[in-house]
Amino acid sequence: MNAAATSGTFREARAAWPAIAFLFVFFALPVGALMLRSVTDPQWGLQNFSDLLATGTYARVLFNTFLVAAVVTLMSLLIGYPLAWLLVMLPARWQQVLLAILLMSMWTSLLARTYAWLVLLQKTGVINRILLSVGVIDAPLPLVNNLTGVVIGMTYIMLPFVVLPLRATLATLDPALMHAGAVCGASPWRLFRSVLLPLSLPGIGAAGLMVFVMSLGYYVTPALLGGTGNMMLAELIAQTVQSFLNWGLGAAAALVLLCATLALYALHMRYLDEDA
Amino acid sequence: MKMDTPLPAVRLMDLHKRYGDFAAVDGVSLDVRKGEFLTFLGSSGSGKTTTLNMIAGFDDPTSGQILLNGGAVTGLPPQKRNIGMVFQRYTLFPHMTVAENVGFPLSVRRLSKDEVNSRVLDALRLVQLDRFAGRRPSQLSGGQQQRVALARALVYEPQLLLMDEPLGALDKKLREEIQIEIRKLHHRLGVTILYVTHDQEEALRMSDRIAVFEHGRIVQVGSGEDLYHCPATAFVAGFIGNSNFLRGSVAERRSDAAIVKLGENSAVCVPVDAVGGVGSEVRIMIRPEEIKLSHALSDAAGAVIPVTVRERIFLGDTISYEVATRDGQSVLVREDRARNQGRCVGPGTDAYMHIAINQNRVYKKY
Amino acid sequence: MILTRNRLGLFRFVLYGHAVLVMAFLLLPIIFIALLSFGSSRWMMFPPPEWTLRWYEELATDPRWAEAMWLSLRLALIVTVLSVLLGGAAAFALVRGRFAGRRVLKAFFVAPMIVPVVIVAIALYAFSLKVGLNGTFAGFVAGHLIIAVPFSVICISNSLRGFDPALEQAAAICGAGRLETLRRVTIPSIAPGLLAAAVFSFLASWDEVVVSIFMASPQLQTLPVRMWTSLRSDLTPVIAAASTLLVLASLILMALLGLSATRAGRSKMQ
Ligand SMILES: Nc1ncnc2c1ncn2[C@@H]1O[C@H](COP(=O)(O)OP(=O)(O)O)[C@@H](O)[C@H]1O
Ligand SMILES: [Mg+2]
Repeated sequence: MNAAATSGTFREARAAWPAIAFLFVFFALPVGALMLRSVTDPQWGLQNFSDLLATGTYARVLFNTFLVAAVVTLMSLLIGYPLAWLLVMLPARWQQVLLAILLMSMWTSLLARTYAWLVLLQKTGVINRILLSVGVIDAPLPLVNNLTGVVIGMTYIMLPFVVLPLRATLATLDPALMHAGAVCGASPWRLFRSVLLPLSLPGIGAAGLMVFVMSLGYYVTPALLGGTGNMMLAELIAQTVQSFLNWGLGAAAALVLLCATLALYALHMRYLDEDA
Repeated sequence: MKMDTPLPAVRLMDLHKRYGDFAAVDGVSLDVRKGEFLTFLGSSGSGKTTTLNMIAGFDDPTSGQILLNGGAVTGLPPQKRNIGMVFQRYTLFPHMTVAENVGFPLSVRRLSKDEVNSRVLDALRLVQLDRFAGRRPSQLSGGQQQRVALARALVYEPQLLLMDEPLGALDKKLREEIQIEIRKLHHRLGVTILYVTHDQEEALRMSDRIAVFEHGRIVQVGSGEDLYHCPATAFVAGFIGNSNFLRGSVAERRSDAAIVKLGENSAVCVPVDAVGGVGSEVRIMIRPEEIKLSHALSDAAGAVIPVTVRERIFLGDTISYEVATRDGQSVLVREDRARNQGRCVGPGTDAYMHIAINQNRVYKKY
Repeated sequence: MILTRNRLGLFRFVLYGHAVLVMAFLLLPIIFIALLSFGSSRWMMFPPPEWTLRWYEELATDPRWAEAMWLSLRLALIVTVLSVLLGGAAAFALVRGRFAGRRVLKAFFVAPMIVPVVIVAIALYAFSLKVGLNGTFAGFVAGHLIIAVPFSVICISNSLRGFDPALEQAAAICGAGRLETLRRVTIPSIAPGLLAAAVFSFLASWDEVVVSIFMASPQLQTLPVRMWTSLRSDLTPVIAAASTLLVLASLILMALLGLSATRAGRSKMQ
């Protein structure tokens, strides 16, 4: 009782038990069990992994997944970086407006936003209709049920995850460095290339890795916008388990995804540490 | 304990607090009288807060006993000890108004609304903040916040008030103002106060008695004057007031006195029981204002040491000198301007330093 | 400021233009869907030939949609309460406790955010099949709680870290017991963090798709699951109406959070 009032004893640690117990039973244990199934289902051995490698589908899905994740990362960085840069230069009030929009977008129903793109990108959707009527194109573009749709939708969803951390990094850079550069007579373009960009590289790396990791395991958006022929890893795992009831193979694919995710996440944390 | 001594408000009996191997409090014993203003004085890390926290009940002693009004409080949680406390940081509840903060201990005690309101108002008047009752702590200055904390600690009329460096975060002028206020409150309310500070001037200004802490122990307890005139150790001497320590070694021991050499060509006579064997080190403490400088040898009692004046600084009511003995020890001297009148001991000149050796200020070690 | 805007010359207008486009990119799809949900065309013609509340009516009266909404709401509320309780206690241990392995424990608490949801979903699916949790309300609660708890742990840890434990000592010395201190001092002081935890937990559950797809049975479907299944057959504007409701919930809750943040910020400033 007395000790509880002072800052820090073992007693406080007890409060963690309910959460530990819950997450252990419903999260750690099931995930562990699933991973185990990759080598025990249907029998002991690495059969599932060799099956994975043997099937062309899996290789294609894996390629698709990394390709989409890479393109999405690149796109969100390209679009997000200038925005983050502008954000730190804007007066506080405007910064807040833009940040509010970013945060709101981030926390608005994922399903609703994906659905919006599904509707927008249809052959008869608004985007194609506008492009047609302006005369940029003669026939509707296939924008959805392919990887293009996935990339558009995912970039849209990942954008806040790039802009927010990048802005945080840029905001910590010492303005004096830029002023020093400017006094030396460097043009804005040179300043950007030789001062701002190199200094923000760790932030770009961290944000990019984060988006890449998240994209690798994304399920909802690729499943809805990608159509049947363009599966990504998460959807493949779900399908293998749900439709084909092949738990061993699904677990093996899940293990691959989990390992890639954790490895990249560890790298991301390293980046953050160096940044700090 | 004699029958007629009243129970002490606080009695600490051989209190220890260990963190692993480290003894933060290392055998503290102390009686605090009822109605007394007693200050824990010591440098940072000497165990004052730890001791206070054990009295408050935030920490359990590793060993030892704490008696409040004669009753042991071991294991009694803070909320059952009926103690008031003011912390160094402003620990006002940020989501409550000033009045709600001060009323908090009363509402915890389930007093009626009217009773709470009238006592809150009284307490706020006591610290002259009744006009601010409706404000939030964040709308007050640091000094005002600390006065609200004081009102909150006093409103339930605790038997004992603990204050842990309550003025540490305030600037000097404000600090002195509130020191006086606290002192006045103490006289008016007669509450027992245990006060913690590392500022010797604050301790001297406010306390009936001071307990000096060093490395988790109390090295001396006494009134400010006791500590100033008869510091028990060199540490206390150094901590309270300005002091010079002259280094020397025992050259000779006689039956009535010992000769201590200070460098090559000066020596002083000190009481023999204050020093160790021949050749052992000695520290003699001399207050700057107890030294007289002159060009001529006088036959006043005490020791005379030849020095060179290095610097003379005019400070208005006093003049301060920095002088060096022949063996290079630097000594600070302060003279009243009135007494100094007419004489001019300028920088660079040789002079004599007259000192009276007080036997209570000769130390075997620093 | 990295580089003052007016130093950039004309290039700054490029940046402005870019920002406007990106904001449009972020906002227009949501607005578009909200507009379509009031449009009369079943084929989602834009601009709609007429305005109607028909799809909302269908949403409210079609028992499959109505039950899904009701389930989602109950679920989100229960998950919010449990998540704040579990996550709050865990955050308390993380911030106040001094014990070996605190960092590991913290990583464990946020792990469900890092592990891809699909893995969480099928792992829990397999587990639920074994213990008979699949297709049950409890199963949904457990699944959503896994996703929500990390948000609570993070939000509440952050605000606990900004809370001075000396305030609890002050309350204790004023005579308040453990519970009274918690109720009257600690909880009000970390209220913004608790609110954030509640909002994010609610949204995490309210909007959860993947775990729910696996947990759902034909009888027990949340609103997103219902949307998901009908999306696969057609794009009916009822989904647009449901989407608009989801968006509206996020909007209201985020606005609430923003309001409390600015209020907290303002009282700090004073
Ligand atoms: N919880 C603790 N764990 C370990 N050491 C502590 C703890 N609390 C205090 N100490 C150590 O005990 C010593 C005394 O601390 P304290 O009582 O706060 O000193 P003071 O208040 O006199 O500055 C310090 O050296 C401090 O580092
Ligand atoms: Mg202290």
